[in-house]
Amino acid sequence: MATGGDKFTRNLVIGMVALVVVVGASFSYFGSKGSTTAAIPSSVSKADGYGIVFNADVKNVPTIDVYEDFQCPVCARFEAINGITLDTAIKDKKAKVVYHVLSFLGTESILAANAAACASDEGKFLAFHKGFYANQPAENAGTINATFLKSIGAAIGISSPKFAACVDNGGYADWVKNVADEGAKANINSTPTIKVNGKELDRNTEYFNVEAFAKAIAG
Amino acid sequence: MISELLNKYGKWFGLFARITLGGVLVAAGWLKVIAPAKSQMAVRAYEVLPISVANFFGIALPWFEVGLGVLLVLGIAVRLSAALGGALMVLFIAAISQAWARGLSIDCGCFGGGGTVAPGQTKYLSEILRDTGLALLALYLFRYPLTRFAVEKLTKPEGE
Repeated sequence: MATGGDKFTRNLVIGMVALVVVVGASFSYFGSKGSTTAAIPSSVSKADGYGIVFNADVKNVPTIDVYEDFQCPVCARFEAINGITLDTAIKDKKAKVVYHVLSFLGTESILAANAAACASDEGKFLAFHKGFYANQPAENAGTINATFLKSIGAAIGISSPKFAACVDNGGYADWVKNVADEGAKANINSTPTIKVNGKELDRNTEYFNVEAFAKAIAG
Repeated sequence: MISELLNKYGKWFGLFARITLGGVLVAAGWLKVIAPAKSQMAVRAYEVLPISVANFFGIALPWFEVGLGVLLVLGIAVRLSAALGGALMVLFIAAISQAWARGLSIDCGCFGGGGTVAPGQTKYLSEILRDTGLALLALYLFRYPLTRFAVEKLTKPEGE
């Protein structure tokens, strides 16, 4: 016994809800896609999933892919345990290391990843990476802003106005999206994820043990 | 006896079912809408769909949940929304069950979050029980779509 008016309202509401769902999903979907025109920081290789690459030109060494989110607490723990091992491998040219700075934990991850890219332009990505994790704030607590990120930069000896402007502008945000998009395509479902020559390490035994990790990345 | 109870309280229970199922869908959907990368990760972690398809659903599904939830809360197209919502819950139960059976260590990602978790941190049973409860509410609404305070007024299921 629904009246014509009721039926009209019903169809109108269904139509509007359907429209919002389709439009919203489309925006989300295309918004998550990377952009080929994104500004790219130094040391980034598109072929390596837009990661920041060390020892790109060294031959006959294993490739280590490190997928992290600056806000992920387990990543900070991983860095505390294995950071030195990775740094040494890079310094001694014993491995090609690719850092993929993911951002699935939210806006503050994007800000941190952008600042890390700015530090990469100063040739100080690794120092920034270490300094940030040593001072990692709680997740999405509002702590990670330009002031905080510049203070990390200052602590590792970056004083250039270019770095400050880069952090303020967030100009590498599109690149951060590219990294995220490539991480999604590479089926990265957890952070940290470490791959040696494309094969993931064993999460139960090789991630948080200095000796096991060093052995695993020796290739 | 049961029909008496249904006559007396059925429409009120229907309202409860609508608000509960619809509210959960809106909340769960929205938490994923605002964290699309994490939601994609959650779908990939079930290791059922090809990666590109999983990434698509990780974004589309949350919006679909929100839409269904809004219709249920408003009380529009209750029968259809309940059928779709119920089907969604059955799908979730199947997905979680296969992850459990195959020994994957994942979070269901039902309310945002998701992805691989440490072995021993899985909560498969409680996730399945919750979704079963919601599926039963959907089933009730499919059978008795007439409820209190619904925008649409039907005299019989799907009748217009």
